[in-house]
Amino acid sequence: MTTPRSATFGTERRIGRLLIALAYVSVALLVGGVALMLVGGISPLDGGPPLDLDVLVPNLATLDPAGLLWLGLLTVIVTPFSQVALAGYAYARERDWSMVRIAIGIFAIIAVGIGVAVTGTV
Amino acid sequence: MIAGLLLLGGGAAAGVFGSLLGLGGGVLIVPLLTLGFGLPLREAVGVSLVCVIMTSSAAAGVYLERHVANLRLGMTLEFFTALGALIGGSIAFLLDQRLITLLFTGLLVYVAVTMARVGRVPATAAAELDVAPVTDEPGAGTVLDRLSGEGYRVRNIGLGVAGATGAGVASALLGIGGGIVKVPLMHVGMGVPLRVATATSNLMIGITAAASTVIYIAHGGIDPYVAGPTAIGVFMGASAGSRLSHLVDLRLLRLLFVAVLGFTALQMLLRVVG
Repeated sequence: MTTPRSATFGTERRIGRLLIALAYVSVALLVGGVALMLVGGISPLDGGPPLDLDVLVPNLATLDPAGLLWLGLLTVIVTPFSQVALAGYAYARERDWSMVRIAIGIFAIIAVGIGVAVTGTV
Repeated sequence: MIAGLLLLGGGAAAGVFGSLLGLGGGVLIVPLLTLGFGLPLREAVGVSLVCVIMTSSAAAGVYLERHVANLRLGMTLEFFTALGALIGGSIAFLLDQRLITLLFTGLLVYVAVTMARVGRVPATAAAELDVAPVTDEPGAGTVLDRLSGEGYRVRNIGLGVAGATGAGVASALLGIGGGIVKVPLMHVGMGVPLRVATATSNLMIGITAAASTVIYIAHGGIDPYVAGPTAIGVFMGASAGSRLSHLVDLRLLRLLFVAVLGFTALQMLLRVVG
């Protein structure tokens, strides 16, 4: 199977732009969170709250610094995963099934990692 | 307020150093947070991983747009690195902090020695080492053909798989991007040109670190108040570093970096002994 070079270049360009865009979005969210920390007189060494998805939206609505910071950090973490997802989708369109399997495999390993961490089986 | 500015400034310095010297910056952020701010090592590692993702995503984006990185090779090796990161992230919370500190000290010494030795080899000569030209169209033929790029042929895939898995374990345990392992692995071990190896490593680093970070978050190992200012600083520093690279005497910078790493390694060792 031969992959046209122009198709590969197009995929790489799209993934590149996605990564750069998400990096800037995450920085903007983090800057907002740090600005709210300064306004609220919160020191970075005060000890921030752990991630709680149940209070994330209420925290954002009330402009709690932790809300914006966690949203920014989650955007940072999601960025590389979206790179794999977009690459997997692009390879599926190119019918390059071995690369699709690799993309799915990466997600499977990450899912196992999350499962292990959340259930505390280690 | 002052602590926030110090974190921002420290992160920026790590970002500048990291981008000028081709490192993720994790080797500087962890000592900064533990020795400078008294954070427990695991929290420092968690914050460092966030910073590593931040810088690698931005850099990988640029490399992909310019078609320097090898996406197929990066994703293939990343499968095994993610596996290593899963193992490392899982055992990180079972190991004694002093053992992890000792491992990190060893890493600092290794990086310092590597950087000192790199200074004696002309970069252009190193970049051309072990590169075998190919005439086949990438994307056709054997696995190695399909992973190869324009003007070079990938070899030693077994070594690549083993090295990538080890890099994943080190990344999750020590909060580093793992570029210091992956770049020599791809360049010297697999015949990938240095520029492509560096770009592809950046592509992989973010995925590895993200996989480990999820585990750290689940264990409450990341403090958003520390991670926010540090990550912003690293991003600013890395952006500035990439623009400053042509103005800086890299030999002098490398010497300074080696000295800083040596001093930091000594401090961390004293902490373990003390």
